[in-house]
Parts: sequence; C-alpha cells; structure tokens
Amino acid sequence: MRSLRLNSLVALLLFSSCTSAYRSLQKTEGDAACIKRFQPKINQTVLYSTQVDILQHHLSGLLLFKPMDDSSMRVVFASEMGLKFFDFEFGKDGSFIKHYMLPKMDKKAVVKTLRKDFEMVLMRQDPATAEVFMNGAERYTAFKLKKGKIYYITSKDCSELVRVENGSRRKPVVEVFLTHYTNGVPDSIFVQHKKVKFNISSQRVEK
Amino acid sequence: MYPLMRSWILLCCCFVALNASAQTGFKPVANLELFKQQFMKTAQSTNTIKSDFVQEKNLSMLSEKIVSKGKFWFKKENKVRMEYSAPSYYLMVINGKSFRIKDAKSDRNISTSGSKLFEQISKVTADCVQGNVLNNKDFNTKVLENAQYYQVQMTPVAKGLKDFFNSIDLLVEKKDLAVVKIIMHERSGDDTNISFTQRELNVPISDEIFALK
Repeated sequence: MRSLRLNSLVALLLFSSCTSAYRSLQKTEGDAACIKRFQPKINQTVLYSTQVDILQHHLSGLLLFKPMDDSSMRVVFASEMGLKFFDFEFGKDGSFIKHYMLPKMDKKAVVKTLRKDFEMVLMRQDPATAEVFMNGAERYTAFKLKKGKIYYITSKDCSELVRVENGSRRKPVVEVFLTHYTNGVPDSIFVQHKKVKFNISSQRVEK
Repeated sequence: MYPLMRSWILLCCCFVALNASAQTGFKPVANLELFKQQFMKTAQSTNTIKSDFVQEKNLSMLSEKIVSKGKFWFKKENKVRMEYSAPSYYLMVINGKSFRIKDAKSDRNISTSGSKLFEQISKVTADCVQGNVLNNKDFNTKVLENAQYYQVQMTPVAKGLKDFFNSIDLLVEKKDLAVVKIIMHERSGDDTNISFTQRELNVPISDEIFALK
C-alpha cells in the first residue's frame, strides 16, 4: 500500500512537472495587430528612474529611450551619477546593435537577455507573423522565437494588456508588465525573470 | 558593481564650485609649486561645504543630454552627502569607511573595507581634503592655466578607476581656488560634467546629515 502511494506521488510529480502552462491555449482566428495599441508610442526621448536587482546586486539609474530618425530606438542605461552601463540600438527591422556595454557587465548571456527583455517592452514585432490563441478570458498573441515564444496577453476583447510573457515550451520564463499609460507611453515598466533573480523596475520621470 | 558605479562621486568631496564658463586658451601652469601650495592651503582651511549642483551627462553618440540636480554637503574629514532631487530621487552618503545608498527601491549601507577600488577612492578623498590630490600616484596629473582658471587634468593609471575613465578634469577658479567644474571623460566616449552653485563654506552642518541607515 505504501509503495502504491509512493508510486502515485512520483507519477503525480512527474506528470505535473511535464504539464505545459500553455497546454490549454486554443488557436483562434483574430486580429493580431490589435496589440499594437499597447506598443509604447515613444515619439521623443523618455526617461525612467530604474532599479535592477540581479542576483545579489542592486543597480540604480536612469533608463533612456530615444527614437532615431531612421526609426530605430536607442535604449541607454546610466547610473544617477552618469556612468553608462549600456547603449543598445533596436532597428525597425528587428536588428540589434550593442553600441556599448560596461566591460564588467559585457557577457553574451547578459546582452542576449536584456535584448529580449527590451524587445518585449518595445513590441516591434510584425503582427503578420503572429498566431492568436484563447485561454479562458485571456487572449494570447504569440510570436515565435528561436527558443520559445513571446506572448502578449490581453483581455478577451484585446482592450486591456494583462502582461507580456516570454515562455519556454512549458512555462513562463519572463513576465513584463506595462502599466499606467499616459499619451501612449507606460509610466511603469516591470520585468520579472522567473528562473533567476533578475528584475527591472522602471518609473517614468520628467526629463 | 556599486562601488564602481559610484567611484567618481567621491572625488566631489574636495570640490567647491561656482559656474564655469570659457575653458579655452589653456597652457601649462607657469608656477606649479605655487599652485600646489595655494590649493593645499585652501583645502585645509575648508571644514564644511554646502551647495547645490547641476550634473550634465552628455551621451556623445546620441546628441542627448541628461540633466540632474541636487544638493551637496561635505564635512571634514570624510563625510559627504549627495542628494539628487531631479529627475529622480537618489541619495549617496559617505561617512568614514561606510556608504549609504538610497533609491526608490532600497536604502542600505555598504562597507568600503575589502575593496581595492574603495581604497583608491578613500585615498583620493583624503588627498582632496588635505589638498594632496596632485601627488596622488593613482593619477598622472597635469596642471594648465588660462587667465581665469587652472585646469587639473587627472589621468587614472591605477586599475579600477582606469577601467571607467580616460581622464577627470577639474576646473579651478583662480580668484579663490574653488573647483568650478568637474568633467569626467568616460572610456565609452561620454562625459559627465558637474557644476556647483550657491556654495557656502565653513557653515555649521550637523552630523545627522551624514547619518547612515
């Protein structure tokens, strides 16, 4: 009897660990472009007071978004006292250029992670490449990545952005919350990584 | 990372300021020893400093500028408070061998012991306070002058500061040997300028201003 219970428990654990958080998504026809209304409308330089918690480190500074004439977006993070941490360029065509990264932080994995995080925030993906799914009261607009997907999760009628999610095949890896929009620009951005302690919290400030 | 981020700020502890203007026409100082003596004498007679400051971060590749403002306090021997009020709140206090850092999400103390970079910074701080910054071996220093200013060009040679800055320039007004501007040239190509206004020297400043958390 005891071994039966143990086996059941192991089976349950195995089953639950293999269950995908995206298993219940139902593919549907729908207008993927509706999520564009949540894309931050950054038409001029905007500035955010930003705190980054990464493992045991805590960084603080100013995050700057600047739209360029060629329709690319520059994203720069510098400490309050002026020391620049990174300067990235996100092209209109999905291209990415690392213009600068503080040498102590310049690791391939760090750049790749930040690139993906800001791509989720900037929402520059082409809706024509998206798939739309329903999951209860939520609508998932999904963009395929080399590994996993980015989901823009909205209310059923696409009137409200619930969160942005980067998911592996089975579970969410990163969640991004864009809230309190003013003139098309979110006043608050929160990026939360699920596997490691890595959070970015930004509050818009007047330049 | 924190000590690295804040390294340059410690240089401020010996800097007194007014607004800077023209910085042209500099040539090597005619009498370096005289300047050293006078600079040291001024630093030694300065027990407290209270001022406002304006900081300009110039992003060279973007033709973009981030302007920050705040208040600065210094008290001999080794107490500094730098409080940013715009565009966002940020507080940095140095009290002896400890730092306090406060931002929107955290308020914490950091000890300087055990960090080589902190040792360099502490030395720079002490040298500034005592007017010995020109003899600090962590920098190659040149002094230039024009009619109105001295320009102290400090090039880091020691590992640590050298990783972040090509050079740090101090613009010193001739009439009262006050540092009117600090220009930090980053290795990234950007520079950060900091100017002090409403300077008050040797006014009483409570130790509470420099309280750690």
